[in-house]
Amino acid sequence: MFKTLNQRISLVLLVLAIVYLVLAYQLPSFAYTVIDADVVPKGLGFILISLSIGLFFAKDSDTEEQKARRKIPKKDIGTLLAVFGFVFLFIFFLEILGFIVTTAIFIFGCSWFLGYKKPVTNALVSILFPLFMYIMFTKFLQINLPQGILPF
Amino acid sequence: MGSIEGILSGFQVALSLEGILFVLIGVLVGTFIGMLPGLGPISAIAVMIPITFGMDPAPALVMMAGVYYGAIFGGSTSSILLNAPGVSGTVATAFDGYPMAQQGKAGKALAIAAISSFVGGTVSVILLMLFAPMLSSVAISFDPPAYFALMFLGLTAITSLSEGSTIKALISAVIGFMVVTIGIDPQTGTQRFTFGNVNLLEGLDFLVIALGLFALAEVCTLIINRKDLYFENKRKIGSLKITKDEFKEMRGPMTRQSFLGFLLGVLPGAGATIASFIGYITEKRISKNPEEFGRGSIKGLAAPETANNAATSGAFVPLLSLGIPGSGTTAVMLGAFLVLNVQPGPLLMTDRPEIFWGIIASMYIGNVFLLILNLPLIPYISKILKIPRPLLISLVIMFSIIGVYAISFNTFDLYMLLLFGVVGFLMRLFSFPAPPFILAFILGGMMEQAFRQSLTISNGNYMIFVESPIAISLLIVGFLSFLFPIVGHYRRKRKGIQ
Repeated sequence: MFKTLNQRISLVLLVLAIVYLVLAYQLPSFAYTVIDADVVPKGLGFILISLSIGLFFAKDSDTEEQKARRKIPKKDIGTLLAVFGFVFLFIFFLEILGFIVTTAIFIFGCSWFLGYKKPVTNALVSILFPLFMYIMFTKFLQINLPQGILPF
Repeated sequence: MGSIEGILSGFQVALSLEGILFVLIGVLVGTFIGMLPGLGPISAIAVMIPITFGMDPAPALVMMAGVYYGAIFGGSTSSILLNAPGVSGTVATAFDGYPMAQQGKAGKALAIAAISSFVGGTVSVILLMLFAPMLSSVAISFDPPAYFALMFLGLTAITSLSEGSTIKALISAVIGFMVVTIGIDPQTGTQRFTFGNVNLLEGLDFLVIALGLFALAEVCTLIINRKDLYFENKRKIGSLKITKDEFKEMRGPMTRQSFLGFLLGVLPGAGATIASFIGYITEKRISKNPEEFGRGSIKGLAAPETANNAATSGAFVPLLSLGIPGSGTTAVMLGAFLVLNVQPGPLLMTDRPEIFWGIIASMYIGNVFLLILNLPLIPYISKILKIPRPLLISLVIMFSIIGVYAISFNTFDLYMLLLFGVVGFLMRLFSFPAPPFILAFILGGMMEQAFRQSLTISNGNYMIFVESPIAISLLIVGFLSFLFPIVGHYRRKRKGIQ
């Protein structure tokens, strides 16, 4: 039944729309409002349901170029996941280790992982970029970035 | 004092040594802050307010105005070079600016942006000077039904922003609209879709969505293609050269969008974002080669850039002549006025003409400065793209993260950024266009509020949308502009089959 890509996507969207609608129906209502907070979400939910049904029956209109985009070598999927993992770790450690330390480690590590093999330039950029941003934001613009383990 | 004398006194302020110096400082600081990740005109003005303490109001406000349009100007740089729009007004700039930069024409793209910003800025200042007092009445005649209709008109851009499949564009927009319903409802205070999470009470920030869907999704594509050759013609990357023919192409959009952008800027709440989107789609629709849009079209870059700068001057109309801030940025600007003990409003023009006209006159000079200062810098700025891809990828990720963190100070928003990066990448893979999503996200909230306010006023009677002449005409234009591309699409298909 779900042969084409569009049909599979439309199923996912249908589930999304139903979950959204269920949540919208649970929104509390108030006695004296003409148009309550749930009206627009309910409308949106139903529109998405009808659009996903429309997508189910729609012809595949993707061009060859668009189809080619979907063919990603397995190795690259691994790389993508790894970079997302790095970003996740970065966010996790940002407020613990501080902006300068985490950013320096991230830029050096991520660039190295992606194939930038000039250690000296890499190290220089990894240290100077966060340092410049940190000084710019905290000293000049008075916008605080996490200080972490460093004394300044 | 008559207005001619007023204008002359304004030029006296703007052309004094002090005036020139402060305009220069203003546009320089504004451009610089605007280029930094996540910082747009709001933060730029807020940062500069303490500096004006104790200054004479006229030069201080001239400087603040410079910071404002300088920041809008600077914001387009990250859109063009990194596909990372820092403010909503420059999202549409990325549609054609980024592809152009990817073709190795970064310098040219930045130069086109600079020139169209200059034209948009300058033409709109002339309009501001001529029509400021008159237009203020238009700004207050816009009631909630008219706003709803205007937002609707803005949303009809969706069908023009599709990559072939209209239904996918619509789905993308509906989901964008759904995302903006997250948070506390401003009218009833109901928490919607927050799952009890405190971080979601205020909803998701624009930057989380924009940097996720555009910058991080682009990073994914860059990672996959990291071994490709960088650009088609790397040597010319910093070249500013615009040929005569290219200049001719820019002329049309620049003229039209200067006027349209200014008019939309005058309306409180509409501002630079709607102006840039409407500017983009108008040019796409009237263009003979609409298929070029989204692939590095000169018109597609010149239109939003002209419109958003023209709208910036337009936004000064309600601010100066009525004392009503039409956007977040002009609200902070109003704060700057009040700090200096200047009350903008109908009396400003008669009581303090040197300030009223001084700000306007300084904008001519400010726009010239922006152009002179920025053109020589373009070759250096475009060199960012010569950074080896692995390093550039890490830096763009950092740029996005700093942008989000600097406004929210919260790691929750960073996880959300990551999530929207994944969503953006999946949307690309399955050919769901991101622009309708972000457009619905920007306009959806305002549209819902205007819709509900209108119905509250009319006590639930839907006729309110057709009774107001402004609303009904905007709605008709909206419907036509919604159907026009769909009908055209089917016609072309039919012709193809026959």
